[in-house]
Amino acid sequence: MATYSIPVGPLHVALEEPMYFRVDIEGETVKGLEISAGHVHRGMESLALQRNYFQNITLTERLCSLCSNSHPCTYCMAVENVAGIDIPERARYLRVMADEIKRLASNLFNVGIMAHTIGFNSLFMHVMEIREQAQDIKEGVYGNRMDLAANCIGGVKYDLDDGIESFLRTQLEEMKRPLDEIYQIYAKDPLITARTKGIGILPKKDAVRLGVVGPVARGSGIAYDVRDKAPYSAYDQLSFTVQTEEAADVRSRALVRLREAMDAISLMEQCLERMPKGPTVPDCLPEIPPGQSVARSEAPRGELIYYLKSDGTDRPQRLKWRVPTYMNWEALHAMMHNCKISDIPLIINSIDPCISCTER
Amino acid sequence: MINDYIHAGIALLIFPGGLFALATGLLFKGMDRIAVARLQRRVGPPVLQPVFDIIKLSTKEILIPESANDAIFKLAPMMGLMGSLVCAALVPIAGVWKGIPGAGDIFVLLYLFSLPALAFMFGGSSSSSPFGAIGFSREMVIMFAYEIPLLATLLAVAVRADWSLSLDGIIAYQTANGPFLLDPVMIPAFLAYLLFIPGTMGAGLFDIPEAEEEVIEGPVLEYSGPLLALFNLMSAVKLMVVLSLGVALFFPLLLPGGIWVNLPFHLVKCLVLMLTAVSLFRASTGRLRIDQAFIFFLKYPSSLAYVSLLGAFLLR
Repeated sequence: MATYSIPVGPLHVALEEPMYFRVDIEGETVKGLEISAGHVHRGMESLALQRNYFQNITLTERLCSLCSNSHPCTYCMAVENVAGIDIPERARYLRVMADEIKRLASNLFNVGIMAHTIGFNSLFMHVMEIREQAQDIKEGVYGNRMDLAANCIGGVKYDLDDGIESFLRTQLEEMKRPLDEIYQIYAKDPLITARTKGIGILPKKDAVRLGVVGPVARGSGIAYDVRDKAPYSAYDQLSFTVQTEEAADVRSRALVRLREAMDAISLMEQCLERMPKGPTVPDCLPEIPPGQSVARSEAPRGELIYYLKSDGTDRPQRLKWRVPTYMNWEALHAMMHNCKISDIPLIINSIDPCISCTER
Repeated sequence: MINDYIHAGIALLIFPGGLFALATGLLFKGMDRIAVARLQRRVGPPVLQPVFDIIKLSTKEILIPESANDAIFKLAPMMGLMGSLVCAALVPIAGVWKGIPGAGDIFVLLYLFSLPALAFMFGGSSSSSPFGAIGFSREMVIMFAYEIPLLATLLAVAVRADWSLSLDGIIAYQTANGPFLLDPVMIPAFLAYLLFIPGTMGAGLFDIPEAEEEVIEGPVLEYSGPLLALFNLMSAVKLMVVLSLGVALFFPLLLPGGIWVNLPFHLVKCLVLMLTAVSLFRASTGRLRIDQAFIFFLKYPSSLAYVSLLGAFLLR
């Protein structure tokens, strides 16, 4: 049978962001794959060296819209590590809250797009309707629907009063039932199962070899979650389960994301219960001494690492970050081996690629 | 003789094919979009949006890929539209239009009915786009898949209607003996036909040849402007044909009061059929893989149609 190539991307209906795949096809079967990146490189690491520590919080928040809290939060943690700053107890919980609401919205967005990819637009609309409640929470608490501007060096820039706390409790309670309903749909619907079960398999052995992170790793049975392995903020005070699935296919990754979305609600509720009163920011602007540090966190797509080198001036000497998609996209070669054309967008979506973070 | 030609000319150009089929087809497409939007809690476009699309597309420049086969690329949408317009002229409407004399044979219709699908295939393959080629092969597979239950359904109806192969005869039989929709033997065939409609219209589970997220509209990817408008018109007329045919085969119920009562009644029946088999189906399902769709057609609609065919033979 003749082999020919089709382009997927850089502009493609099923891709949220520009990425180019040259796929070699034989009939309907994928026989080869070449991934090219670099369409949204903006030179942000260089930009970070031209701005002071405080301006970089705003800069890192604009790396990407879906993980826009994980970046500034991890950056602030790296700066705090260099400066030896211990953030207030209340701020630790507030950082968890900002992290989890973003995780909830991001994971729902991904599973929604998955439904759209298989042409199930009603389910996509339904998921986005539930996600809209998460957006309402963000708008109600932080004033923005995407970039929360929650973090600052040494704490957080927002606080909750009684009114907002009760608004949060009501909204979170209201999201539980619909979330449970869509979980059942994703887990049991015959059509979704037919399209996602056994598709894009990444065996545990390959997952370890490729060093994949986040829901992609957990979907392949690897119980690796930074929130559990190296707790930051207040995660050591909160109880949650590291969600894993063993089937290692597109469906497993979607189910892990949905369960983590449900856990996000539980974590936020725990924060509301246990959060102590007190300050959320330090009294004065911190001095950043020379030195270097690493901080890591669990972004919605997986482990995010920030490296910072300071020379004692008001600007970083070097700031570098490793994003989860960088680790995950090589796994696409393994996942797409001998798959069908129809499964390409599904498999790409299953690693939840964040191109703007990766190429920055 | 001359009267017959005039009769056929009117059927092809004005009613029930031609202008009538184009107008109702576009209107139904608009209503389908609104129905799906409401099921998804959206407002949806205006009901005349498909008409606005046609007007806009017809004012655009025709762009043809350099490596495309020019003649086939241009002819394919015309062939598809003509094929579906002829089909529309051949399907009788109970109490309104008896069909072109001597031309309403279900086998003729079956052949003509493959023209729009063939137009898609020719258009896709002549465009020189790899997505067009994939769309071509998918359209071919799905056509083979849905033609099996369609043939069995048509045969079951013909056998049940005392071996009448003309649609007019099938309607006459049902007018005398009650519609097949209420006949337990024919209900499986009706269900098979209900699944055939989204299959041929590429809706819901079977939106495979043109799958936007997979092959970016496949065969029509390279089409733009007036040629794309022709494909849209073809699809609108084809929708009316499958709906009218469904009504003629299973529910050609008449109301007393002549043409001005029965024509709106026919359109209402078509609308109900569309809302069930296209809009609701499209809103409540996603897309299967082409291999899954092929097996689905062999398993369910084919079995249902064969059950009716067997029943019709045994109870003859």
